[in-house]
Order: sequence, then structure tokens, then C-alpha cells
Amino acid sequence: MLYKNYVKMHLKSSFEYRFNMMFISVNQLLIMVGEILTVYLLFLQFESVAGWTFYEALLMLGVIYTVYSTVEMFARGYDEFPKLVQSGELDRFLIRPVNIHYQIFGSRVEFTKIPRILLGIVISVIALTNLAVDWTVWKVLVLIATYVCGMFVIFGLFLLNAGVSIFTIENLEFLNIITNGSKELAYYPINIYAKWLARIFTFIIPIACFNYLPLSFIMETGSVPMWLCGVAPLFGMLFVVPCLLFFSMSLKHYKSTGT
Amino acid sequence: MKSYWGIFKMEFKGELQYRAKALSGIATQLFWGLLQIYLYTAFLNSGSVDGFSISQMVSYIWLGQAFFALRYVTMPKRVGKEIVNGNVCYKFVRPINIYNQWYVEGIGQKFAATLLRFLPIIVIGFLLPGNLSLSLPVSVGAFFLFLFGLILGLLMSHAFAMLAVYLTFKTLSEKGSIGIVSAIVNMFGGLFIPLPLLPQALQDVLKYLPFSFITDLPLRIYIGNVGIVDGLVLMAIGVVWLIAIIAIGKLLIGGALKKTVVQGG
Repeated sequence: MLYKNYVKMHLKSSFEYRFNMMFISVNQLLIMVGEILTVYLLFLQFESVAGWTFYEALLMLGVIYTVYSTVEMFARGYDEFPKLVQSGELDRFLIRPVNIHYQIFGSRVEFTKIPRILLGIVISVIALTNLAVDWTVWKVLVLIATYVCGMFVIFGLFLLNAGVSIFTIENLEFLNIITNGSKELAYYPINIYAKWLARIFTFIIPIACFNYLPLSFIMETGSVPMWLCGVAPLFGMLFVVPCLLFFSMSLKHYKSTGT
Repeated sequence: MKSYWGIFKMEFKGELQYRAKALSGIATQLFWGLLQIYLYTAFLNSGSVDGFSISQMVSYIWLGQAFFALRYVTMPKRVGKEIVNGNVCYKFVRPINIYNQWYVEGIGQKFAATLLRFLPIIVIGFLLPGNLSLSLPVSVGAFFLFLFGLILGLLMSHAFAMLAVYLTFKTLSEKGSIGIVSAIVNMFGGLFIPLPLLPQALQDVLKYLPFSFITDLPLRIYIGNVGIVDGLVLMAIGVVWLIAIIAIGKLLIGGALKKTVVQGG
């Protein structure tokens, strides 16, 4: 399979720069440890925020770390897509007889994200074992759906960013707000934010579908009807559909920058 | 001295050209500021902290965002690339101390980047309604001390950046080097979380470490969390740290230069 060859090639090339790879992994881990410590210290000082305690917040952190790092590892090509547009490299992608998404997925595989994914899983497990949950089959399914939904939503945001860059060509830092902002917002159960902000990130960008809503379902709290919280992750996954359409539409408008 | 002034002016003018970048930076800073204000408001509504009310927190965040370019540790432009591709050898032949040259370059860039960004954020901060709005400084004295604190912060931030330059010499990885230094500075310097929100015991240690001088201290003086007399004492400690970190940086980079092997050319 072609993808397997892509992965092998990226693995080989990252191991050519072993030290660099480890150095970058270590310092990304350092940042994450700093962030986890920050959340811990905040809860040491305040005990709870809007009714949520440390382990509930930690679970949210675990979800977003796992999900975001996984998407970054495999879909990094979409993150780097603006560079393809700027350099005109995208032309070469378009003339190959392979699906464009297949090629973008293959263009980058970031192995430095593996420690972050593992850390995300570890803190999810720590949080889950410390939360008093009456586990049912439904709750397990919702939890799994939460992670899948998160990956779909974040991937959708990557697609949007890539699509927009076809029009703007220049890579504006400002565009990253949506992706990075969504990520930071998802560190805590998002109902702690102002109502209007929480609404935008429920109905327009469905962060709540892998954050506050399934958390309410698992903890059996909150004012939203339980069945709605339960299906929220499934609903959130649909976000990727308009994003894919937007990306395809943008691609039709692509004008090469030349070389 | 004259040549350093020349370098400073050149980098300053160069940075002023990037206006679209500054505009995009301002929009980003406003968004982050708002996000953080809502987050910490939620925390401060669940419990209070002495000497750090919601309105003080809001001012702390807005000022922090306004002077973000100053507080964020970055390497002087091009230096990382020069070290990795070997062009750094052209710097060796110049009759100027290389540490001083890079230090002044970086300060010039940071100074210009800050000047382009801070005013709109301050103005918007003042104009925002009620519990989102930036307050005036607690006193005239505090305001002037705040300004001095910012200058100390700028010098300190860049003294740390020079340590990243040293690491780049050693590792040839610009991204990794600046990443490690800024992760440590951000963690202990109030960029991940406003330091007044940390447990008191931790704060008592952190306020004597060099990281807090980058922006935490001036912001605290502005909002009245630290009094003028305490502020002056702490800033004196900060100056000692600054001299020490610059001295360490000079020593390390001086040592690295002796062993530098330029890769081709």
C-alpha cells in the first residue's frame, strides 16, 4: 500500500535527525507538563470552577491532548498546506493520479507527537480512575465517541485553515486563532466561559460535543437533557462534512502561484 | 557605543515594516486576552484571592497581552539560521563583540514589535465595558515604576533569548533551543498563568527568581498587587539577576565560539 511507504519514508527521514526529533519531543512534553501543572495549581487554589473539580478538568485536558496530537501527527500535511500553496508545490500534487487527500496525509507524518498522544492517554486514564462514575455500556460508548468526535472536529478545523490559505496565500498568524483557540478553549469544560462564547463553540464549531456535553453525560450532571448529551459526539462528527466541502470548493478556485 | 546604536536603529526600522504582521498579532492578542479573562473570571467567581480581584486580573491580562511581544522570548531574527548554515562566520570578522551585537539586534526588534502592537490593545482594553475593561494604574508613582519595570523586562527577556542562542550553537536546532528556554520562562514567568493565582508558598519563591521580572512584576506594580517600596526592592534584585544572566550568556557563547566549526561556506 502506498501509505505504508509514505510512513516508512517519514520514519526513516526523522530518524536521520534523531537528536533533533528527541529534542523537539522533549520540549513539547515540557510545555504539556507545564500546562498540566498549571491546571493542578489552579485547582489547588480554587478547588472547583463552575461546579467542576480537578479530575473533571483533567479528563478534558486528556481528551484534547490525545485528539489534537493524533490529528497533528497524521494530518500535519494540512497544517503545512499553506506552504504548498505559496511555493506552488501543490501543482505537482494535483497532476498525480492519486486522490489529493491521500497525498496530503502522506506528505507529512509527525512522529514527534507520539509522546504527547501517550501523555494525553495517561492523563485521561488518571482522571477516569479518580472520578466516581457509575459505568454503563452507554457511558463507555459515549466516551469512545468523544475521542472520535474530537478528532473529526479538529481535523475539520485543519481543513478549514488549509482551504482558506488557497485564497489568502499568505500565512497569517491570525488564521491560527480558530484552531489554537478551539484547542485552548477545550482545556476546561467550556460552560465555564461566558454564554456567547460557549454558544459559538457549541453550535458553530462543535467543541462542546467532545467536551462539556459528553462530560455531563458521564458525570450525570448539567441542565442539558441526558439523551442530547449522549448523542452530541455523533452530531459533532458531522462538522467535518461542510469542512470537506469547503476544502474541495477552495481547491476548484486554486490558481497556481507559479514557481 | 555608536555602532550599537546604529544596529539598534537598523533593526528597529526593519521591524516597523511588518505592519500586516503586527495587525494580525493584535487581533490574536485581543482574542487570547478575552479568552483568558473569561477563564480566570470563572475561577475568581468560585473563590477569591487576596490582592487580586477580578478587575485587577483583567488589567493584568490586558497589559500582559499589550506587551506580549516584549515578554515572549524569541531569538533575534536570522541568528538561528546563520548559526545552522554557517554564515555566522561573517559576524566573526567584524570588530564588534558578537554577544553585544546580537543582544542589541534583538532588543531593537522587540522594541519595535512592542511599539507597533501595544497601543491598540491598551485603547481597546480601556474602551471595553464594565468587567472586561482595563483600569488606570493605582498611582502615578506605580505607573512610572511600571514603565521602568517594562524596560527591565525587555532586557531580561532578551538575556534569556541569548541563552537559547548558546543552545543553538550546541544543538544546531533553533526550534528546540528556543522552545526549551521559552517553556521554562513562560512556566515560571506568568505566561501560562498569572502568578498571583498560584499558591502563596510558590509565589514567595518565584518572585525572587529571574523569570517574574520579564512581565509579572511590572504588571503587579501597575495593579497595586505589589507596593512601590517592595517593587523597588524587587527590581534591584532583578538588576542583579540581569547582570548575572548576561554574564553567564557571554561566558557560554564566548566558549562556544572558540569551538565553533563552520560547516563549509
